[in-house]
This record gives sequence, structure tokens and C-alpha cells, in this order.
Amino acid sequence: MLLNIVHGTESGGFIVVEDTVKYSGREILKCFINAALKRGEDVHVLGFETSEAELRAGLDSSCVQKIHFHKGHPDPLGWTCKSSVTVHQFTTRDITQLVQNVPHTKASVLIVDSLSFVLRHHQPVVICQRLQELKKVGVVKTIVGLLHSDLHLQGVVKSVCHLANAVISVAPANNEHCGMAKTTRRTKSGKLMQEEEYFDVSEDAALSVQTRTHQPGHVQIEPDKPKADPTSNLTFNLRLSKKEKEAKEKVALPFVFSQEKKSALLRPTPGSGRITYEPDAYDDLDEEDPDDDLDV
Amino acid sequence: MMAAPGKGMAGPAGVNTTSFQKKSRSKLVSIPGTRPSVQNGQLIVSTGVTSLDYVIGGGLAVGTLLLVEEDRYDSYSRMLLKYFLAEGVVCGHEVFLASARDHPDEIMQELPSPIVDEVGSVKTKEGQAQQCDQENQDTMTIAWRYQNQPKVQNALASSVRFGHYYDVSKTMEPEVRQAVKCHSFYALQESPTTTESSLLSSPYHALLQSIQSVIRKEGFDGSTPQSKVRNVLRLGLHSLGSPLWGDDLCCTDNPAHCHALTTFLYALRGLLRTSLSVAVVTVPSHLMQNKSVMGQIIRLSDTAIALESFRGSEKETNPLYKDYHGLLHVRQVPRLNCLVCEVPDTKDLAFKLKRKQFTIERLHLPPDLSETVSRVSKIELAGGCGTTATGNKHLDF
Repeated sequence: MLLNIVHGTESGGFIVVEDTVKYSGREILKCFINAALKRGEDVHVLGFETSEAELRAGLDSSCVQKIHFHKGHPDPLGWTCKSSVTVHQFTTRDITQLVQNVPHTKASVLIVDSLSFVLRHHQPVVICQRLQELKKVGVVKTIVGLLHSDLHLQGVVKSVCHLANAVISVAPANNEHCGMAKTTRRTKSGKLMQEEEYFDVSEDAALSVQTRTHQPGHVQIEPDKPKADPTSNLTFNLRLSKKEKEAKEKVALPFVFSQEKKSALLRPTPGSGRITYEPDAYDDLDEEDPDDDLDV
Repeated sequence: MMAAPGKGMAGPAGVNTTSFQKKSRSKLVSIPGTRPSVQNGQLIVSTGVTSLDYVIGGGLAVGTLLLVEEDRYDSYSRMLLKYFLAEGVVCGHEVFLASARDHPDEIMQELPSPIVDEVGSVKTKEGQAQQCDQENQDTMTIAWRYQNQPKVQNALASSVRFGHYYDVSKTMEPEVRQAVKCHSFYALQESPTTTESSLLSSPYHALLQSIQSVIRKEGFDGSTPQSKVRNVLRLGLHSLGSPLWGDDLCCTDNPAHCHALTTFLYALRGLLRTSLSVAVVTVPSHLMQNKSVMGQIIRLSDTAIALESFRGSEKETNPLYKDYHGLLHVRQVPRLNCLVCEVPDTKDLAFKLKRKQFTIERLHLPPDLSETVSRVSKIELAGGCGTTATGNKHLDF
């Protein structure tokens, strides 16, 4: 599933690449850029955390002019007025302008490196609303944001991931050289798909995925203990031989009746209890109401 | 007025198999799609899901608020909201939908289509139990006297049919949908205005004003003269409290406007009580960091349920839960004009979304015998004993 999302076979939306200090997700971002370039789409990169050179390293140089790198690094807050985009310009209007400034042919992809930086300088609620607006406005087909989950409160990370169509969480694989990606994708109809894959990113930003079985460290599978046979090692015999079993089956049970009597008993009776009353000689069965002669 | 209505006779296993119909001079307005409740005489509407109606005591009382705590990926809570709105369309009620994430028109286009010719997939369980038992008369050798006893019912249903069934795989025809008046409110389109009251944050204030104007204009609170037929307004509010509503309840432990949502719910309930309307609100409680807020929100609503989906959690692989999609927790049931409320007799409820029905059933845990015996099978469902292939199951005693 990771390959499908990166190569954009599924329709765009908002994708979050969640990483931690243990394993960086920037390589996945590069794979996104590479795949988008190969599809011929315009890529707009908002770089607040890394320099342009670092992100361009390893990318296919032939389509380099399709990447529009909006330099935020090394001055993302605009203190020395050297950057082309500052963090405060992360609004729907400004981003739409940025994207529309460039004559675009197909749908554009917006890569935000990183969303964490933007979230630190704005209210999370405002950023969520702006991301949703960007999705709805439709100027950008896909938005990919890098989120460092250990930099924010749990609530913020969860809220942002709740908005996303797909979340890719990367973590170091146990003893391997490659990384492990847990992908969660939510379709429009509400269907949910989850997958865990091992991936490796090569020098030229090509993604290769290996599906491996779970390492024993991940899932604790209890080994089947050999079942203890309770009928062994006893001073009396609890087992039955075949003949004894047959004899047991043949024993007539106390309430086994013939089929007719069974069905007669099972037939639903009109009432669960029946009262049969036999009046004896002293009973006065007078049908008249005894209170009739009262003067009430 | 006839004799005081008593609670109907409870059948075996505490299932309310009452066919009791209260006979009263109809002082209550008769609005299509509503009926007086058997328990306390309140006017109730169906939520669109018959098993949910049973769980919350017959249906949703008009003038009350149902709170649904969303499941983690908002699949089933969204489905419940769509059922509620679809039921409104089918009954001819007016519909008001507010959302912040997807446009209300998109949600309206996804409403499930009603099943017109009900094959009666939910007949009275007694009849079915009798039939299939006569087929398996030779299965019990020792306990044959109990053969004809009705089996324990897992599926929850009342004997009186109220509400419709929907086919989730098809969407409602646009003509059917447009026969009913729909109002909508999309939070992202509202321009943030400075409000005089600092209690409510901007989108909630605008939403409340919008609801109030609809109620007043359409006459649900009795303000306009009774020239037209009285009707019920169904309000569906999606994902209140999420960041898209401008509320930071989900982002931090100490939100700046921690009382915005609670104030809104308080005002909304006041509006509901004074008009012929009923509201279903979904709230992403799994995102909320401050647990005490959730308690306040539940207190401020009348009926509250929570959906817990197994998707994406470790419970997905648990063999106990393999037949179901999630658990349903009933957090609160209201006591409306009476001393006792009607609660389901079990707290272990599990739901399953099938194509033609959203079923809520009792979750039976199998008896915990020794570790070596794997008796994971549950008691067969009464309705399914003719259809399941497990007719050879012997009951060992």
C-alpha cells in the first residue's frame, strides 16, 4: 500500500508522514517528490527545516525545473528578509497565490517540510482549518506534510492525523538496515486499510518495499505448550476401550421414551398448569352472587 | 384515559416482548414518523436503526439530544448520522445538517436508500424459533424436553415495528431526498465574525443562530400559526469539538475556550426542549485530551452512546470479536418526566454493520473452561438457526 500511495495511484488528499527522532521520514518525502516528477506534476516544496540542496540531492536532474522550491530555510521567520516564504505565510490565500504564480499544467503537489515547524508557530486549530480549506479549494491536489510526532502534544498529533486521508508512520526496524512503515489509509466511503511494511530508500530516491513476516519481537506468539493428558499417571483407569464405549452408548437412559410419547409430551399444551376441581358433597356451588341481598 | 399503562410482561431472558399498546384519547399531535412511547408516553422518533431504538428505550424522544462518541476513524458514527437523516427523509421530517469537514451536500448524497419491500428479515423471533426447533428434534438425546423452548435471543428487537431498513450499498435517489426540506450549515464557509458574547466561539455561535432561525422561521416552536401540518425537525451535527470547528478541545489539555462546546450544548438543548426537534451530535471523544470535559458533555446531553470499532486496534484479531465490527457502550439514558429510565438489561453490546441492517447484539462471552479446550463458539442466534451450517452442533451436558 505504501508504494501505491507514494506513486499516487490513489487520488490525492492530505497525507501525513509521521516520524520520530529515531528514524527520519524525509526520505519518504523525497520519494513523493520523485514520483510526482515522474508523473509530470508540479511540485511545490515549502522548505522550513532543511536547505534546498539537501532536498534536491539524489533527485532526477532532468525534471528539476518542475520543482518549485520556496526557500524558507535558513530564515523561516523572515528575520533577515532573505527567504522567499515565511512560516506566517502558511495561509490559504498565500499558498494559493504561490501555486498559481507558476503556470501549471497538471495538478500540483504541495510538500511541506515540515508541518511540525508550522504547527509550532501557529495555533493547531488554525492550521487544521487551513489544511482543510486547501483540500477543499482544490488548487493543490495532494498535500504531503512531514510531522515529527515527538515534538507535539498527543492531542495535536492525533488531530492532524485525523484530518489526513493517509498516515505513514516510520520507525526503525528491529535489526534491519531498512525502516518500517505503518500505513493507515481511510477512503471516502469510510473504509479503513492498514498495513505494515519494510521499506528501503535508495540513493536516487527510489522506494523499495519488502513485505516480510512479523519479527518475533513484535508479536508475542505463545508457543503451544504440549497438552498434559490428565488421564495418564493415575492409579485408576479413566480411559474407555472401544467395546466399553459401545456398551456405554447402548445403556438405556431413564427418560428415553418412544418417539410418539416424546412428541406427545412436547406438543404445546394450552396452559402450563391445569386445575381440576372436584366439588365434594359439602360444597355449595351457587351461581348467584352472594352479595346481591346486601343493601349497599 | 384507560387504566394506567403498566410495563409489558417481560419474556424469558428479560426481553421486552410486549405487544402492549397504550389506549389514550389522542391529545398528542399525530405527526408522521412518530409515536408515543410505551414506557412514558413521550413522543418518540426512530433513529433509523431499529436495534439502536431498542437499546435506548424505544426511540429518541422529541426534544432531546443524542450524543454519539465517534469511533477512531469515524466510519460507524458517520453511518449512524446518515441513518438518522435518511429516516428523516423517509418519514417526511425536515432535516438540518451541519458539518465542518465534508460539505453537508456530500453527506446528503451518501444517504443509504430505504428498502421498500421489507422481506421482513426481522420477524418475531418466537415464530422462527419454533419452526427450526421442529427440524432438529433428534439432536438432543437427554434434554429433549427443552427442545421447543425458545433459544436465547442475541439480537435486540421489540415486537412492534418502528423505523425503516436501509440498504447501505445503494444511495438514496435524489428525487426522494429532494422531497424533504434540507437545511445545511458548513463551518468552513462561515466568515469569522466578532461576537458580543465571549462564551461561544465563532462557529458555534453562528451554528446556534442558524438553528434558531430555522426553528423560528419554519415554526417548529409554535411561533407561526398552525396553518400547515406540524412536523419534526431533525438536526444532525457532525464532529462537534474537532479542530475544524475552531475548538481546541482536542489539541491541548488546557483549552483556551474550554466551555465553548459545553455552552453550545446547553443552549442547543434549550432550543430542542422548546420546539419539535430532535438532534444527533457526534463528538470525536478519542481525540479529547481532557477526560473531564467528556463527562460534562455527556451530562449535557440526554442519551449518550459510544462506539468503539475494532478496526485498527489489537481487538481486531481477538477471536471473541470476530463476528462483530465493534462495541457499543450506552453511557447515559434520560429520565424524561418519569422516575425510572429504560435501560438495556446488558452492558455488553456489540454492533455489526451488514448491508441491510445495522445490528446491535448482546455479546456473549463463552464459558471460560480450561486453556486446552477451545470453546469459542457462542450460542447460536435464534434467527439464524435455519441458515447457519452448524445444525450438527450437539449440546453436551
